[in-house]
Amino acid sequence: MTTPAKPATSEPIAIGQIGVAKGEGALRTFVGSCVALVLYSKRHRAAGVAHVMLPAAEGRAGAPGKYADTAVAETLRLLADFVGDTDLGCTAKLIGGATMFTFQSGTPIGDQNVLALEAILSGLGIEIVGRLCGGRHGRRVAVDVATGTVTVETAEHGSETL
Amino acid sequence: MTGRNQAMLEEAFHRGAEDGSAALAKWLGRPVTLSVGRLEMLPIASAASVLGSGDEPVCGCAMGISGAVAGLLLLAAEDAAALSLADTLLEQPQGSSTAWGELERSAVLETANIVGCAYLNALCAVLTPENDVGILPSPPVFLRDFPAAVMEAALMEQPHLGDAVLLANSEFRISGTSFRCRLVFVPDAAGLRAYAHEPADPDAPL
Repeated sequence: MTTPAKPATSEPIAIGQIGVAKGEGALRTFVGSCVALVLYSKRHRAAGVAHVMLPAAEGRAGAPGKYADTAVAETLRLLADFVGDTDLGCTAKLIGGATMFTFQSGTPIGDQNVLALEAILSGLGIEIVGRLCGGRHGRRVAVDVATGTVTVETAEHGSETL
Repeated sequence: MTGRNQAMLEEAFHRGAEDGSAALAKWLGRPVTLSVGRLEMLPIASAASVLGSGDEPVCGCAMGISGAVAGLLLLAAEDAAALSLADTLLEQPQGSSTAWGELERSAVLETANIVGCAYLNALCAVLTPENDVGILPSPPVFLRDFPAAVMEAALMEQPHLGDAVLLANSEFRISGTSFRCRLVFVPDAAGLRAYAHEPADPDAPL
């Protein structure tokens, strides 16, 4: 299964989609309960962003970027194809996983998404070097492809850099 | 879903939009035009941009719905338009409200309550005419956020339906003003199965 790579500074990466870029530019997305998985290869100055909606595919249909368990592998594969090297030396950053609506019951899906991604990344030995997760607000995410710096902005809660 | 069931759903959501529009007109004391009112199956990326795809925040009021018609109902408008609505409701000159204080929030929350309940009553009347199965809306919750983030969270009502989602999308315009707002209902996955009168399959990927 393939996901078309989005070029840097294009439209925001939509739910379930994956964008990869190298050299320069920015990858952008908006997240609420979903999680932006950012993988960065300093060695290749290349970044990949997956817009993850759910913790596990469990055989369901949908783009690989939609589920944590398929998004990590697919983003790594796209990055490796993009730079022509499987030795990426990636680090990760996680942004999102909010609980936007207080009336939603059960374990918040945002928390489940973050936990699933943490477990998968840990299993692959990929260090999580930054995270801004939880809360009750959406986030605008912009990844500077040249440096791997992630700018996270909110509508009412300021901005931070990872 | 059969053609008959789909027609019934479309009728229900259209009548809901009409009744919501009428309730909004009565609440505001001004004519309101229902400019869009349809049931749509959209690719998930398109559904996420129903409220807009830009960087400007929208303000919205969300209600969780349980019972015969379950899901999430969202009344949303651009920031400036919603503040203008608050001015109208608070009977103060246009432009008086410049930020979201308690009064402004309360005004739009009450609007969501009135429009939402009219909408839901109409849905119930069409979808469950013979029985007395009720619907239970939660108190509306105010939020001001990026449009894509708001819609993305709303789409969690149908997280397992593949790459397309079903939603009811209505747009209201208040005559004589630039105000317009959008009412979006995202039925939950279990509710969709019930509307379609399909037997519950424990292995179904819903």
